[in-house]
Amino acid sequence: MKSQFNSTDIDLTSTGKGYQVVIGDKTLSVEILHSENGRLDLLLDGQRVTAFVSFDGVKRWVTIGGQTFALTKSTAGTRRAQHGHHAQDELTAPMPGQVRAVNVAEGESVTKGQTLLVLEAMKMEIRVSAPKDGRVGKLLIQQGQTVEREQVLIEIVDKLES
Amino acid sequence: MFKKILIANRGEIAVRIIRACRELGVKSVAVYSEVDKNALHVQMADEAVLLGGAAPRESYLNADRILQAALDTKAEAVHPGYGFLSENASFAAAVDSAKLTFIGPSADSIRAMGDKAESKIRMKAAGVPTVPGFEGLESVDEFRQAAEEIGYPVLVKAAAGGGGKGMRVVESQADLTESIEGARREALNAFGDERLLIEKYLPNAHHIEFQVFGDQHGNLIHLFERECSVQRRHQKIIEETPSPLLTPELRTQMGAAAVAAAKAVNYFNAGTIEFIVDPNTLKFYFLEMNTRLQVEHPVTELVAGLDLVQWQLRIAAGEPFPFTQSDFRQRGHAIECRVYAEDPAGGFLPSTGRLLQFIEPRGPGIRVDSGFRAGDEVTHFYDPMLAKLIVHAEDREAAIRRMQAALREFVVHGVTTNIDFMGDLLAHEDFHNGQVTTRWVETKFGWQAGEPTVEALVAAAVVELGQKSQVEGQSVEAYSPWKVASGFRN
Repeated sequence: MKSQFNSTDIDLTSTGKGYQVVIGDKTLSVEILHSENGRLDLLLDGQRVTAFVSFDGVKRWVTIGGQTFALTKSTAGTRRAQHGHHAQDELTAPMPGQVRAVNVAEGESVTKGQTLLVLEAMKMEIRVSAPKDGRVGKLLIQQGQTVEREQVLIEIVDKLES
Repeated sequence: MFKKILIANRGEIAVRIIRACRELGVKSVAVYSEVDKNALHVQMADEAVLLGGAAPRESYLNADRILQAALDTKAEAVHPGYGFLSENASFAAAVDSAKLTFIGPSADSIRAMGDKAESKIRMKAAGVPTVPGFEGLESVDEFRQAAEEIGYPVLVKAAAGGGGKGMRVVESQADLTESIEGARREALNAFGDERLLIEKYLPNAHHIEFQVFGDQHGNLIHLFERECSVQRRHQKIIEETPSPLLTPELRTQMGAAAVAAAKAVNYFNAGTIEFIVDPNTLKFYFLEMNTRLQVEHPVTELVAGLDLVQWQLRIAAGEPFPFTQSDFRQRGHAIECRVYAEDPAGGFLPSTGRLLQFIEPRGPGIRVDSGFRAGDEVTHFYDPMLAKLIVHAEDREAAIRRMQAALREFVVHGVTTNIDFMGDLLAHEDFHNGQVTTRWVETKFGWQAGEPTVEALVAAAVVELGQKSQVEGQSVEAYSPWKVASGFRN
């Protein structure tokens, strides 16, 4: 069975007792010793390891060896649509909250690092700053508005647009 | 002792106080907001009263509703925890007026120390060293002049503040106006008071605080220091005691200054005197006093050997302190790591979501104070702290190793946490050498999240096998992976 996480292809082939895993240029053997309630005991190339795995949409939370990763599963046909050009950066809300201040207007020139907006969440202020020199394309929110995580707030376009 | 008390807080600290109540045979009343109706503290308390909506103003900051709940349930005293109304002098006074006992200091002590400007003036008068700076300024011009006189970098902070809110480091004049406006806005929003003070910013300082404890009969002692220099955005992440910086002489001097500071405001119950210490000169300066129980109180409990929360109740009930300063010694070493729902690789931004897994570490010398369980929702309404992981061992090296092992066992899924970040921080040589100062995380550590390991990717792929065996197209409940475990074994 083939799957892809964080753009890495992983191929599992049953060997009867366990599986042969091909990941990048590596080949390993894996045997499932036990699995229950999000806990997975594996024999990886003869080494016993315990992993904890949770599902969260296309995300998989994996804790193994004292490290936790949020991996993203890629599925065929739903590759992320690419913008035709890289002239435009969309800045999104990193978390749900409220827009406390809008420091720029549409069409205004901005410099890299300049504070564009201030959000407030969990009683903290989060500054959204310009990722590059450019100009404010679209301003999609206004002061006082409540925004959701990943919601597009503002577009920064290149300064010299032909 | 009281028969019943109300706990005006939520999360881990409410749970901590309920545990103290149970051990003392005191009934507990929890209060909660709509989103917290199934929270751990609500389930653990003997009674629970709904306050209102999720927004703190409608619930945990709603003093009238909380007082009414205390009267309705016939509670005799109110424990405010930390944050929310804990340092609100008007609330403490209102509790007194309602003929209830506020489990904490007097409203006058809170008022005197709560105002960072007034407390600084009082400390100067009591002979406690303070950071050079100005209080009572208003216009941006006055701040600009003051900043020039003190010399950049300067710190502007809310006079009514605490907890890093309404505080800004200003590196140069160019940032002064925006910083003042931002700090004022945050201060107004968090404390309802936009007054700021300005002082010299010491970029390479240690933050070391002293726990003080007094009864209502004039006895006041300190329970040694806590080293709290590991911070991000002026908020503590890791605390320990003893501090690797202090010498026995400096500990004695600072302990005496802490006691003098607390006595200057006729303090009783638990409080904390915060100092900053210049590691080069070993000079120390009073920063502020927190007139409440501190988040990091457990490290003091372990090393001083005293249950601070139980003593808060006993002192509030009028018991005299049976101890004197010489009864206390520091035994072993304790470290606390605050497990936050936040992304250390992405500017420490809070992370929200449902806790898909929440497995706490266990073992000798390991304590976890948490207010969450698997399945609970972490919302943006409240502080992003999920739990406090505390270890106690015979010395600092052993405590570090114990903490590293415990962090590796702590599993939290569903929100990004700082667990891996803290594990790597504890392994850093600067931490081992006790050289971490308050801006070290932001200026020197430069942590990056690790790339996914082969093992992690394989584990994720293996779980897909279990998914394949399920009915195609059937949606899997987000937080209960592979219910059909039998699909795994061949």
